[in-house]
Amino acid sequence: MRTTRRKFLQAGSAALVGFSVKADRRIAGGFVNDSFQFGHLLGDRAQFPPPRKTEKHVVVIVGGGIAGLSAAWRLHKRGFRDFVLLEMNEQAGGNSRWGENEVTACPWAAHYVPVPGPKATYVRELFEELGVLKNGVWDERALCFSPQERLFLYGRWQDGIEPAIGLSDQERDQFGRFEEQIHRFRSSGGFTIPMESGLSGEQANLDRMSFGDWLNQRGMSSRAVDWYMNYCCRDDYGAVAAGTSAWAGIHYFASREPEDKGPLTWPEGNGWIVRRLLERVGTHVKAGQMVHRIAKKASRYSVFAGDTEHQAEFVIFAAPTFLAPFIVEGVGPLHDFQYSPWLTANLVLERLPASYGSDPTWDNVVMNSPTLGYVDATHQSVQNHVERTVWTFYWALAEGPAASNRRLLLEKDWTYWKEAILHDLEWVHPDIRTCVSRVDVMRFGHAMARPVPRAIFSEERRMLAQLDGRLQFANSDLSGFSIFEEAQYRGVRAAERVLVHVSGSHEPSTRAGRK
Amino acid sequence: MGILLFITVLLIAACGLIYELIAGTLASYLLGDSVLQFSTIIGCYLFAMGIGSALSRYVNRGLAYRFVWIELMLGLIGGFSSALLFLAFAYTQGFQLLMYALVVVIGVLVGLEIPLLMRMVHESYHFRDVVAHVLTFDYLGALGASLLFPILLVPRLGLVRSAMLFGLINVGVALWSTFLFARQLPSARVLRGLCLAVICGLGIGLAQAKRITAAAEDNIYADEVILARDTRYQHIVLTRFKDDIRLFLNSHLQFSSRDEYRYHEALIHPGMAAVPAPRRALVLGGGDGLAVREILKYPQVESVTLVDLDPEMTRLFSTHPMLTSLNGKSFLSPKVHIINTDAFPWVDSNTDSFDFVVIDFPDPTSYSLGKLYTTAFYKAVARHLSAQGLMVVQSTSPMFARDSYWCIVETLKQAGLKTYPYHVYVPSFGEWGFVIASSHAYSPPTLLPTGLRFVSAAGLPAMFQFPPDMSPMPMPPNRLNDQVLVRAYDQDWKDISH
Repeated sequence: MRTTRRKFLQAGSAALVGFSVKADRRIAGGFVNDSFQFGHLLGDRAQFPPPRKTEKHVVVIVGGGIAGLSAAWRLHKRGFRDFVLLEMNEQAGGNSRWGENEVTACPWAAHYVPVPGPKATYVRELFEELGVLKNGVWDERALCFSPQERLFLYGRWQDGIEPAIGLSDQERDQFGRFEEQIHRFRSSGGFTIPMESGLSGEQANLDRMSFGDWLNQRGMSSRAVDWYMNYCCRDDYGAVAAGTSAWAGIHYFASREPEDKGPLTWPEGNGWIVRRLLERVGTHVKAGQMVHRIAKKASRYSVFAGDTEHQAEFVIFAAPTFLAPFIVEGVGPLHDFQYSPWLTANLVLERLPASYGSDPTWDNVVMNSPTLGYVDATHQSVQNHVERTVWTFYWALAEGPAASNRRLLLEKDWTYWKEAILHDLEWVHPDIRTCVSRVDVMRFGHAMARPVPRAIFSEERRMLAQLDGRLQFANSDLSGFSIFEEAQYRGVRAAERVLVHVSGSHEPSTRAGRK
Repeated sequence: MGILLFITVLLIAACGLIYELIAGTLASYLLGDSVLQFSTIIGCYLFAMGIGSALSRYVNRGLAYRFVWIELMLGLIGGFSSALLFLAFAYTQGFQLLMYALVVVIGVLVGLEIPLLMRMVHESYHFRDVVAHVLTFDYLGALGASLLFPILLVPRLGLVRSAMLFGLINVGVALWSTFLFARQLPSARVLRGLCLAVICGLGIGLAQAKRITAAAEDNIYADEVILARDTRYQHIVLTRFKDDIRLFLNSHLQFSSRDEYRYHEALIHPGMAAVPAPRRALVLGGGDGLAVREILKYPQVESVTLVDLDPEMTRLFSTHPMLTSLNGKSFLSPKVHIINTDAFPWVDSNTDSFDFVVIDFPDPTSYSLGKLYTTAFYKAVARHLSAQGLMVVQSTSPMFARDSYWCIVETLKQAGLKTYPYHVYVPSFGEWGFVIASSHAYSPPTLLPTGLRFVSAAGLPAMFQFPPDMSPMPMPPNRLNDQVLVRAYDQDWKDISH
């Protein structure tokens, strides 16, 4: 008798944990912006029709991500107009594409730029042009508002993402020693943005081991330290520390000066920058144009996209470099370019969920979750009262072989990913299902270059990056990793090289006719 | 008789569990630490049930009579337990004592129920069947109750009414038992009368439950609550004690009618009287219309634009007789234009210019309010100032929140404005601070509207003097990307309350 009742009493109180049982919302959504089909088309070239039209340009830019758009920006800024940019997707922007609904604009992938240091001159030049940097002062409205970041661990939220609460003495010591090491690397001048300006053979040995091994050898692998280092690798490279070059792992920390309180961000993430670039060069951009073949004919290149043959004197190949062997005649197989598969989602929230009494921040991360958490698109709003919002959810499929993760991305349906995302969020927002009305999911098979060991000092990568002729490569993967600054740098550099050739072989006045 | 008996078991098992869940939930709501509350309450309750079971052996005769009495008492005590606990929390210091006493009494009574019932029926059934059936229905009742409680009872009925409903069930069982066991009862009529009386009592309680909770909540505010309203944006509460009307927004005092004239005269006149010809005024916040009342004392004023987020707030202060008599029907003046919207986006998108701008927001208690105290916001407001224009900012207390006050001053400076900080004493607030800011030099006016009760030309210069305990502190400015003010404000008030 007693035991039976006791059981029920306990069950009764357990039922209280799920105190308010409300009906879940019906959640709409689906996959968006899928581009797998394009990749698969490339495998079978025969299906592309022969060209019916021919266009002539001095320069054709292939790929409308940040690298391609930056090349276009530079050409345009120098008064050069005879170029076209061909983008495979319907929307330009690459990893900086954005979405918009009745609530807010929101990013689909890249959502911030760290406040650039003095060496990132092209980035600073762009931001001065866009009014984000005025007389050396950053626009307060473009810097991420307070409170910026939080981490959920041990059942509560803390400020900032580096674990700071509940640390053992050992972990505290390890974080301290790590900071010292990074300080040393930072002052060595070898870890810069753009990476090319500081890259030095002295640090080549770091590229031969994994970041995980480097940390282990120095006894910096306690639980919280290990989690944080892996989080950083997943966040910037879509890889785990054991699969990241130690050079790249160190670069993440040592390349940036302790900065103005940043980063720079906008509701649509780096889509804001894309919009500004499109305002300038949009008339040169042709979207929905998948380049399926680039062939050299005498001294000219023919770039085939859709039913058009674009004849060009110069080609800037700003699309991911791994596509080159499938598209560019004469480019052999590449071995040193690996990419991380990613998944992002935009969740429409009808109201903000409960969150263990903490103020919502811009970037919200949960310790020990396989995902990277979410970013709030209305965080940069000056409104006092926000009811509905959009969260952009990030998930780098970093564990295990990239190929099987890509297959997983393709095989599982939308419901599977929606459930996985909500399940992950439920841990910190138990009532999330009563708040979300829509979950749109975007799958990236090759989201970003993965700097595996030996990728940074790869001879193949170096060779392609230095190509300086009628065909130039410009994707950020030539730096070994995909960040805004590297993409912009590669794009601008390619444009500058082309401009040197053009002014050498043409009368500048015929090409640089200003309006 | 069989099935009726077992339904009785099911019902009393459900009632017993509900009282215990109610005590645990209430204690968690009111005291926090739900693990501790539930653990101790379950422990006490089970222990008391054990006592009840042990005591059952001393009940030798009149089993049915005593069973009916137990149900009656359970109905009465359990039914009113939640209401009693609410009132005890609001009005006495003895909440926990009463709670554990109730848990023990209810536990003992529940512990008596089942053993008595089993003994009452053991002659009609095999022992084996009695145990099996009684325990089965005991299980079922408990399951039903534990599911009903979180899903239906708490969200739909609330704790006070749930307890009363189950009290009614207990009494119902008592009443029904007088028929079920009529043969074993000598005085069934008297018992039935008692049952009906308790049913009436609980019925009245059920109907009045809202009043009971309201009475308990009233006591959390010191005075009589004359109006309480939840809007989309905030919780508005008006209280009155004799002639003193107080407004609370989200439990923060906004004004007391006894001394609000000090605050609002000090907010408006030092700045506005210094503007040569103040024709157009802008008030950001200030949905109570009291600042507008002061602004309308200048006959040159042609238009006053008021931007306040909450339409319910401005509607109340336009229509409620007690409130319109406070603000002198300022919102009914044809010069006044009310815009219910978010201030920052409005300031960004509007292009009008004003001779006098009043920034009267709640204190920076959160990051979202803190945005309205940043360099970015003040720069945006400054674009609305006419050539002769001035703005004034309510800036919390330079005494209690000294860092915060000087942080606001610094923020205005970093927004490129000249600043003129001053302070006054408002009894219900304490020492309170304001800042006049403009792009040109300001000096205190020598001529003020007539009929002021607090601000005088002679007294003005002294307001701009800060004694050593409120003197300037070196503070960084408050920026959108680095809201030092919200953290400073939080720290300032923590320092005082400890």
